[in-house]
Amino acid sequence: MMANDAKPDVKTVQVLRDTANRLRIHSIRATCASGSGQLTSCCSAAEVVSVLFFHTMKYKQTDPEHPDNDRFILSRGHAAPILYAAWVEVGDISESDLLNLRKLHSDLERHPTPRLPFVDVATGSLGQGLGTACGMAYTGKYLDKASHRVFCLMGDGESSEGSVWEAFAFASHYNLDNLVAVFDVNRLGQSGPAPLEHGADIYQNCCEAFGWNTYLVDGHDVEALCQAFWQASQVKNKPTAIVAKTFKGRGIPNIEDAENWHGKPVPKERADAIVKLIESQIQTNENLIPKSPVEDSPQISITDIKMTSPPAYKVGDKIATQKTYGLALAKLGRANERVIVLSGDTMNSTFSEIFRKEHPERFIECIIAEQNMVSVALGCATRGRTIAFAGAFAAFFTRAFDQLRMGAISQANINLIGSHCGVSTGEDGVSQMALEDLAMFRSTPNCTVFYPSDAISTEHAIYLAANTKGMCFIRTSQPETAVIYTPQENFEIGQAKVVRHGVNDKVTVIGAGVTLHEALEAADHLSQQGISVRVIDPFTIKPLDAATIISSAKATGGRVITVEDHYREGGIGEAVCAAVSREPDILVHQLAVSGVPQRGKTSELLDMFGISTRHIIAAVTLTLMK
Amino acid sequence: DLAMFRSIPNCTVFYPSDAISTEHAIYLAANTKGMCFIRTSQPETAVIYTPQENFEIGQAKVVRHGVNDKVTVIGAGVTLHEALEAADHLSQQGISVRVIDPFTIKPLDAATIISSAKATGGRVITVEDHYREGGIGEAVCAAVSREPDILVHQLAVSGVPQRGKTSELLDMFGISTRHIIAAVTLTLMK
Repeated sequence: MMANDAKPDVKTVQVLRDTANRLRIHSIRATCASGSGQLTSCCSAAEVVSVLFFHTMKYKQTDPEHPDNDRFILSRGHAAPILYAAWVEVGDISESDLLNLRKLHSDLERHPTPRLPFVDVATGSLGQGLGTACGMAYTGKYLDKASHRVFCLMGDGESSEGSVWEAFAFASHYNLDNLVAVFDVNRLGQSGPAPLEHGADIYQNCCEAFGWNTYLVDGHDVEALCQAFWQASQVKNKPTAIVAKTFKGRGIPNIEDAENWHGKPVPKERADAIVKLIESQIQTNENLIPKSPVEDSPQISITDIKMTSPPAYKVGDKIATQKTYGLALAKLGRANERVIVLSGDTMNSTFSEIFRKEHPERFIECIIAEQNMVSVALGCATRGRTIAFAGAFAAFFTRAFDQLRMGAISQANINLIGSHCGVSTGEDGVSQMALEDLAMFRSTPNCTVFYPSDAISTEHAIYLAANTKGMCFIRTSQPETAVIYTPQENFEIGQAKVVRHGVNDKVTVIGAGVTLHEALEAADHLSQQGISVRVIDPFTIKPLDAATIISSAKATGGRVITVEDHYREGGIGEAVCAAVSREPDILVHQLAVSGVPQRGKTSELLDMFGISTRHIIAAVTLTLMK
Repeated sequence: DLAMFRSIPNCTVFYPSDAISTEHAIYLAANTKGMCFIRTSQPETAVIYTPQENFEIGQAKVVRHGVNDKVTVIGAGVTLHEALEAADHLSQQGISVRVIDPFTIKPLDAATIISSAKATGGRVITVEDHYREGGIGEAVCAAVSREPDILVHQLAVSGVPQRGKTSELLDMFGISTRHIIAAVTLTLMK
């Protein structure tokens, strides 16, 4: 068995070669039918894909999503036709479906999306596949303690993305010996030779410098590939990189290794002749059956996680929401064993240290590499294996916007917790303050955006996020703020709370986080002057409880004031304006951070940048004068 | 991307709708301090301005107007052209609509939008090739939020898209000529 794996017999080798050529033929037919497509990249990867799918990987042909299957990620997403071709050969896609590549309503797109059962994460934005592969490998090795392996195929061009090397560092640090990365070094990027051309030895040096077990192979030599993949499976404590030297457009005369064929199909007139040429090299008519996986992943459940006890705070306690989330995560971690927490080397600042102390085996330190942290979280959450929470300063999630965007397309189920939001971060200065994160997360499809204003609602947000499909973002703050809800209070997504109201409210004020407390203080002052205002805590900014806001606005003369620790664009103010935009007679006055801040005491900054109690009072007064 | 760039302080956001305004955007950006973002599209679209047209940051263009315009429609890039096509269709049915090209989304020409809205019964429709959050629609809603009697109906990309032909996708995701006409019709029924 071992000898067969490392050195397959002559017949197996021929079948693998033939399969590679059949993959080329499928790719040619598919890209021809659709009029475009990354044919040349498919041709360079044909032998690698053939060996992986029909010799090396262990998976259930008819159950691509099974948790015990080896995982395959096509990081070089534009070679999608070869992935689809592989599944045609496996038998999960029909040839006629393949010919509908890229048409409307076809699930076979130019880049793989998880609408397909054999795709875990959408790729197409380069440089992100390896990070998600790391998440899958980490989960398999340390959390599931299972036998399945993870394979990631990358292009040479995408190795310019720094995120690739963040993943390399992570995999090496965590000894992910169940992970194999293949670099398809085919020399040509999108518009010319990739920076290192065929300097495959440079790739080898880089991989070795990052501590990976590395092989340099001829990417079209089936026997060499089988040998390399087998050797990788024997190496302990190090991930393996296979630097495969290939030629773009291999097997297509006059296109092999020629520039300017990126993204172009073979012209129809030539396609038939080329297919015949490739077919003439096929010697057998056999298919290899993929090996079955070892079934040793634990049965788990990640649904319906209940809060086992009410939050342990009382009205008036003072605690920062960003500290609360740390405590809440530790509590959640007791309720379900699949809750994991990832941190971007800020555990002292974001209190995820509390979780680390209690559940060290479920805490993943991702160091100062937020793009990779998000990708790893995505990988950990695939196939429902974990409930992943990734914590960082909210401002630093902005460097992972592309990973978040692709996560949304991947229908990912991860939870992000951002701390140090807004100017209320204070002394750390503007580089640490998130003032545009609401805009970013609101614009991410199917992302729930929580902005809890006290410890109790923060704990509820954590539990709701754990139980909610799709991405969730929880925005937390540094300053200590008072607990305003009782432990019995119930919270729902899309349900705002009216936290202050009287019989003759003149204005509705909507705030969140620190500005909710500023609004309550403003309401206190104004009531002493005989002016009653209604104060709303939206709890979730997306979805926004438009119904409550509109009915409150109507009950207060159509006068609404929003106040947020965020820039004006894309945050609470604009969300409220949009929500009431089709209701006549509701006017909204928006208070937001009015310029690029600086460091200072929280109270000074709130005041300097237009969102303090004083400004709210002034806005109410102004509104009532009209 | 509009959400991202709009939320960056002091960033000018150009969204030119034809070749001539695009060239002007490039020159204005070169001469403007601070960051500038110019949003461009893949499909071929008609040139709608003459070479003599002048462009300024924060200055919208009213590209279609009549004496008895019923609704203001604001689009940019491909959706400006969809809006113009919708205006053509509607005028054949005797309904006149005003069409605005904002040129810059930030700063937004709120004055032109507000005066146009007031001249068209307070009825504004925005249509953008962007998600709903943080883009043209929300910018317009915010700009008119302190003016009484202006209602804004926002059309935006209504879900995570997929591959397809441009015209199919514009229609499938709610921002094509057909959808603009339907929005105008709905608005006028109220």
